[in-house]
Amino acid sequence: MSETDVRLDKVRKSFGAVVAVNDVTLDIERGTIFSLLGPSGCGKTTTLRLIAGFEQPSAGEVYIRGRRVTAIAPYRRDFSMVFQSYALFPHLDVAENVAFGLRMRRVPRGERGAAVKEALELVKLGALADRYPRQLSGGQQQRVALARAIVVKPAVLLLDEPLGALDKMLREEMQVELRELQQRLGITAVFVTHDQEEALTLSDRVAVMRSGVIEQIGAPREIYDQPRSEFVAGFLGASNFLDGHVVSREGGIALVDTAGGRVRVVAESTPVGAKVRLAVRPERVRMSGPDGEGLSAQVRSIVYRGSVTHYYMDSTGGPLLAYAQNAAAGDWAIGDGVRCAWDVESGVLVAPERA
Amino acid sequence: MSGVKSLWAWALLTPPLAVALIFFVVPLLYLFHVSLHAASPSEIYGSALTLANYTSILSDSFYLGIIRRTLGTAAAILGLCLVIGYPVAYFVALLPPRRRMIVLLLLLFPLMVSNVVRAYGWVAILGRRGVINAGLRDLGVIDVPLDLLYSTEAVVVGLMTILLPYMVISIANTLSALDPRYEEAAQALGAGPVRTFVHVTLPLSTPGVASGMLLVFLLTLSAYVTITLLGGPRSKLLVSMVYDSVVGFQWPRAAALAFILLALALALTGVILAVLRPNRIQGSGR
Repeated sequence: MSETDVRLDKVRKSFGAVVAVNDVTLDIERGTIFSLLGPSGCGKTTTLRLIAGFEQPSAGEVYIRGRRVTAIAPYRRDFSMVFQSYALFPHLDVAENVAFGLRMRRVPRGERGAAVKEALELVKLGALADRYPRQLSGGQQQRVALARAIVVKPAVLLLDEPLGALDKMLREEMQVELRELQQRLGITAVFVTHDQEEALTLSDRVAVMRSGVIEQIGAPREIYDQPRSEFVAGFLGASNFLDGHVVSREGGIALVDTAGGRVRVVAESTPVGAKVRLAVRPERVRMSGPDGEGLSAQVRSIVYRGSVTHYYMDSTGGPLLAYAQNAAAGDWAIGDGVRCAWDVESGVLVAPERA
Repeated sequence: MSGVKSLWAWALLTPPLAVALIFFVVPLLYLFHVSLHAASPSEIYGSALTLANYTSILSDSFYLGIIRRTLGTAAAILGLCLVIGYPVAYFVALLPPRRRMIVLLLLLFPLMVSNVVRAYGWVAILGRRGVINAGLRDLGVIDVPLDLLYSTEAVVVGLMTILLPYMVISIANTLSALDPRYEEAAQALGAGPVRTFVHVTLPLSTPGVASGMLLVFLLTLSAYVTITLLGGPRSKLLVSMVYDSVVGFQWPRAAALAFILLALALALTGVILAVLRPNRIQGSGR
């Protein structure tokens, strides 16, 4: 049985009239990375700060390792944190920065040295122990911040957009390293990011947030392949949206009439006659010639991206987008009439945007 | 490219450098020149080159006593400004920006009153017929008025109240510019409020403490009006000696005293910077 390291129970945080976090409930299992993903201002950082105790909830309870910590000061909670700005202490060298949490926890000096050395080895900075933060590159500072946070072996590691300040190459490298480190040490981590790719890469579970509310929680594949709302589908990457209504349903498969033609989609309970919105990922769209099957469309523009080609198309039901692997790509040209089809399970019915 | 740039830099720098050279460096060198000559009854300085002005001051127990009193007074003022000023600055820094601005302006307000007026204010408070003595006598605590005025203590209190705002503003500016993430990072690592302050906030505020201390110290060394009016003839400091020597037409001695004062200022500036090392925090980027 897995244990819960962090639990938020109907946590709400208001700043004046603004509700930043609105009745959020979530459980984070031991040894997993949990991502809070959403656009800026969605309440993800506030949620993290509520776990840390830097913000006090207006209502609800916060638990860390089963202990209710709602009214407990941050320094008495069992967590550590990596800040977006790293917040390395400029008056202390790397080793002293990493040792800080151990000193505050009154770990004897002898043990401290060994633990600091081990943590710095883990982040591959053993050679820089006596440098000062200002003498380090952004990536190195990031590693020091990580070492400083993991050396105290916290119940939960909070990460507030820790890779946001790094350039793309370094960020992807650090994502992989962070994941490996977390799995090796079995750390429970909460990761705040606005980068959907980062959330999908790093996490065991992802909560997509908007306007203080969790729109969907699930494994990366689940929220990517089975988004419940148009917002989630759109935020996690490009999606085609088709409007229509259910004309019949049989054995869990609904037939949906859209402006461009009829398509089949998995639907367990949607009643016949209901207006629905269908989401299809562009990489699931198969293109074929005008005499193939599916919705007919016309190629409007083509973007060559190396490993894939993006086809932007117009159909009677609205614009369509398809990503084709270049190894297997049929060569379409602008203006070509094509047909677009996809597997039944690739289409998902989503809750439309509240207009 | 860089040649053109540095040409521009020099063009911009030349006027202020020239002003500094003509009105500061040259007179200073002249003053040093004067300090190396014997006194003369008819000229500003005599013709003989000599170190006697320095040796006679530094071997005279009277002058050594004055130097000691000067340093002691400065140390007392510095200590009081630091002990009183830091807590005030800490709470000023916690205020929201608008209110912080208002409080800092209120702190600056006394500086708009002339030091002469302020010193006479202290005379009215500390004098033999001043507010304190009159009050104590009316209460029957004392029969004979206390000698509060014309003492080193009076000088310390008078100068401290003038210089305190410099310390407060200097520290408050550093504290309010401090990224709150540092304190949060300390708390996230298990440091309570006291240890967060001792291990993080206090060391990170050293640039403000250092500049506040330098301002207070250097202004103490160069203060004259307050020292003269509140210290009287019994509590003279080095700066009073310079003045007395000038008035007594002892120009070479006055010059030598001025250089000893300058040397003290430089030496103690060095000590303050060496102890606080504010530069290890400045320029740290993130």
